[in-house]
Amino acid sequence: MAFAASSSSAATARTSAQSDLAFRIPSNPPKFAKFAPSISRRSPPISCKMAATAVVDMELDAEALQRPDAFGRFGRFGGKYVPETLMAALTELEAAFNSLATDHEFQKELDGILKDYVGRESPLYFAERLTQHYKRHDGTGPHVYLKREDLNHTGAHKINNAVAQALLAKRLGKKRIIAETGAGQHGVATATVCARFGLECIIYMGAQDMERQALNVFRMRLLGAEVRAVHSGTATLKDATSEAIRDWVTNVETTHYILGSVAGPHPYPMMVREFHKVIGQETRKQALEKWGGKPDVIVACIGGGSNAMGIFHEFVEDEDVRLIGVEAAGFGLDSGKHAATLTKGEIGVLHGAMSYLLQDEDGQIIEPHSISAGLDYPGVGPEHSFLKDLGRAEYHSITDEEALEAFKRLSRLEGIIPALETSHALAYLEKLCPTLPDGTKVVLNCSGRGDKDVHTAINYLKL
Amino acid sequence: MNLQTLSLHHSINLPSPNLNNSNRLGFDWPLRTVRHKGFKVCSVMSRDTQTQIQTQTQTQTRKTDVLQLIDETEESLFRTGKFGRFGGIFVPETLVTCLKVLLSEFNLCMHDPHFQGELSTALRDYVGRETPLYFAERLTDHYKNGRGEGPDIYLKREDLSHGGAHKINNALAQAMLAKRMGRRSVVAATGAGQHGVATAAACAKLAMECTIIMGHLDMERQSSNVLLMKNFGAEVKSVRGTFKDAASEAIREWVGDLERKYYLAGTAVGPHPCPAMVREFQSIIGKETRRQAVEKWGGEPDVLVACVGSGSNALGMFHEFVRDKDIRLIGVEAAGTGIDGETHSATLAKGEIGVYHGAMTLLLQDHEGQILGPRSVGVGLEYPGVSPELSFLREIGRAEFHTATDEEALDAYALLCRLEGICPALEAAHALAHLGKLCPTLPDGAKVVVNCSGRGDKDIETVFKYQQLKSAQVSDGNNHPKPLQM
Repeated sequence: MAFAASSSSAATARTSAQSDLAFRIPSNPPKFAKFAPSISRRSPPISCKMAATAVVDMELDAEALQRPDAFGRFGRFGGKYVPETLMAALTELEAAFNSLATDHEFQKELDGILKDYVGRESPLYFAERLTQHYKRHDGTGPHVYLKREDLNHTGAHKINNAVAQALLAKRLGKKRIIAETGAGQHGVATATVCARFGLECIIYMGAQDMERQALNVFRMRLLGAEVRAVHSGTATLKDATSEAIRDWVTNVETTHYILGSVAGPHPYPMMVREFHKVIGQETRKQALEKWGGKPDVIVACIGGGSNAMGIFHEFVEDEDVRLIGVEAAGFGLDSGKHAATLTKGEIGVLHGAMSYLLQDEDGQIIEPHSISAGLDYPGVGPEHSFLKDLGRAEYHSITDEEALEAFKRLSRLEGIIPALETSHALAYLEKLCPTLPDGTKVVLNCSGRGDKDVHTAINYLKL
Repeated sequence: MNLQTLSLHHSINLPSPNLNNSNRLGFDWPLRTVRHKGFKVCSVMSRDTQTQIQTQTQTQTRKTDVLQLIDETEESLFRTGKFGRFGGIFVPETLVTCLKVLLSEFNLCMHDPHFQGELSTALRDYVGRETPLYFAERLTDHYKNGRGEGPDIYLKREDLSHGGAHKINNALAQAMLAKRMGRRSVVAATGAGQHGVATAAACAKLAMECTIIMGHLDMERQSSNVLLMKNFGAEVKSVRGTFKDAASEAIREWVGDLERKYYLAGTAVGPHPCPAMVREFQSIIGKETRRQAVEKWGGEPDVLVACVGSGSNALGMFHEFVRDKDIRLIGVEAAGTGIDGETHSATLAKGEIGVYHGAMTLLLQDHEGQILGPRSVGVGLEYPGVSPELSFLREIGRAEFHTATDEEALDAYALLCRLEGICPALEAAHALAHLGKLCPTLPDGAKVVVNCSGRGDKDIETVFKYQQLKSAQVSDGNNHPKPLQM
């Protein structure tokens, strides 16, 4: 909220200035392929609730679209809605990232760590019994494959980005790393890489969350991190995030902020996506090896959106590949207790980026709910908002109950326990598979393992 | 001598094992032998005599003799199930036929390219092989001496396998074998739960029924693993006691339903062909390590270190290198609260020869041949016996065995977390703990590979309690170390 409140007028000014420049091709653009959607359409004018007078009218020029453009925008989403004190750090970060993109030594070092430390490449696993489960009476049905990010060190895709950002921070000469965490997964991943690289690590965690996740707190401390309790507000994730940002503003010269998802101000959404895109790149190669083709449908769960972007990105320009994101519907979309940002949210600015977010009429953030902590985020990465508006990706949602059923289903059928986050994507297969022709290749990003969720699940599953 | 199990011994319709190996090796042991239905069985010797013999053995046996012994053992293994004087098939009559069938099926599947292809694919796509050989840079620096010299430490990352331990390699392969044999149901015993979890997962994948038997004490200590097994759809049955009681019960269940059930041995103990089979399925660890060592430094490891409970991860790593006499093989057992007390699981250090769970091997027994309950903070290391093959390797001097206490293992756990961001299983932490004693003795640049046999998420509560206890002791000013009550 800190970003939005202080930057609304600046945002307006910046936005109207940018709208002239946004689709002029910069002289030194980042090296991203242009996206040419098959349907180009005029988007309706948007009204940002944070600044009532701002009306931005953008026309999507198919040929000039970049993801993101030089100003960190994905169409009308993204950007850098931050206090002035952080602008220099973000610019420095972007410059460092761009130079490292062509630095072979950095790439080689990162590849070595991804291979030997993280355990890449993760397999593309043919889920035979799950496929059988979705066969219709006439024996036809899609083929379901799982991209096994659950096998990574620390048990989720998060490590790909954490490791790369830690290496980047080292290159920048930063010795101090900060991060925020809710349930502790991102905190543990950050503490892990800081231990590996010998960096000082401070994790901000809501005091309430610390009580509920005492073992994760201990784990982070065992890994050498300092865990600082945040007592303000509701003492949960969004307050921890604000505190982390405050720390960064204060210590920006010595400190790198490891953001865990494709949210936040530019260059984070782009950077985190780039560090996760290895998931999609491997998938393409493995699909070719396994069936000599591409996936037909890709499914992933969406919290902030990093695992989904990681697998989608490689295929965004393959128009014949369907991209499906699945959010958390919590107790149901009409209950008011969910985290289905792309279905129920409205455009606004949160944590430095313009995107869809769950907000009330006064523009206050609505506390989201999901049984899975990792999907419990009121915003979503701006690139997802962009892909949704473009119609390039489709977004659906799944309730807590449906996710728990899917958790049990994969455990029983394949002997793989998925994270509750991933279970949302798996649950969507129940609705998706009956509609798919025989032999369709479906790849689901199995973004994490569910050992951490078994205790939660037993209460519901009565094991 | 464990007389209880001896009474189950009977004559087996196989060519008699060559118990005259002893003459071949030129031993002159003061053995008391007992004739029982046509077989000579060695009875217990005093510890002093054993030590004497061990020293004699080690000085007398030259390296070429060792290789010869290893080769001869391998040659006759299929037929005899013996590793020197260890191993064998000490089982009731009812089990003999199905063990023979198992041996024959195992042999067939090892030569069946279709089975091997399917297993390879499953190991790659389901288990996540090959596991990396990771250069532990900060750990290496930690063990450098004042002059900046020290060995290079690599970790074989079995912790990254599906399920979080090396156990899945064997569980999956055997479950596939069971399916191939037409069995519908699998029964297994588990101590720490890792083998139970791996078996339950493999059975879910292969659509087989699964019953896991676990000691009630273990179920309390490893409750999260119990939940995982149930989540996979396995039935978890409790018996009084710990792993050794669960193993006996599992075998009983198997005997009661031999046509339908398959007993899935989790480690390299038991009657032939179980030790050989488990070792074969785990040997992928060593095979990958050899190839990765060549890729990384163009050579071989100098020293291999692995923790030893019953021996499956150690054998999985060692087997590939057993004929490379320049490569040191080091096993680390659990010394619990201290090797001189009663709460440990250091079978190779303190055990005496006997027959247990169908094999002749070293085991922790009292002077009446009753099994001594092992104890360790690394629950997976708690087994009163040990693989007959490891007993053999120790006897011929091919492998060396040491111990690490609970405290040393817990400290090693914390050290690896802090230095490398890897939380090892407490079992694997025993191997890591030994680095403290080993590294100062090694020349600069020696290549040490430690088998990181599992991840330690399951142990976080144990470590948490230990650290709380430690800080409580410090704040108490209490100088007397309390026994660790986990």
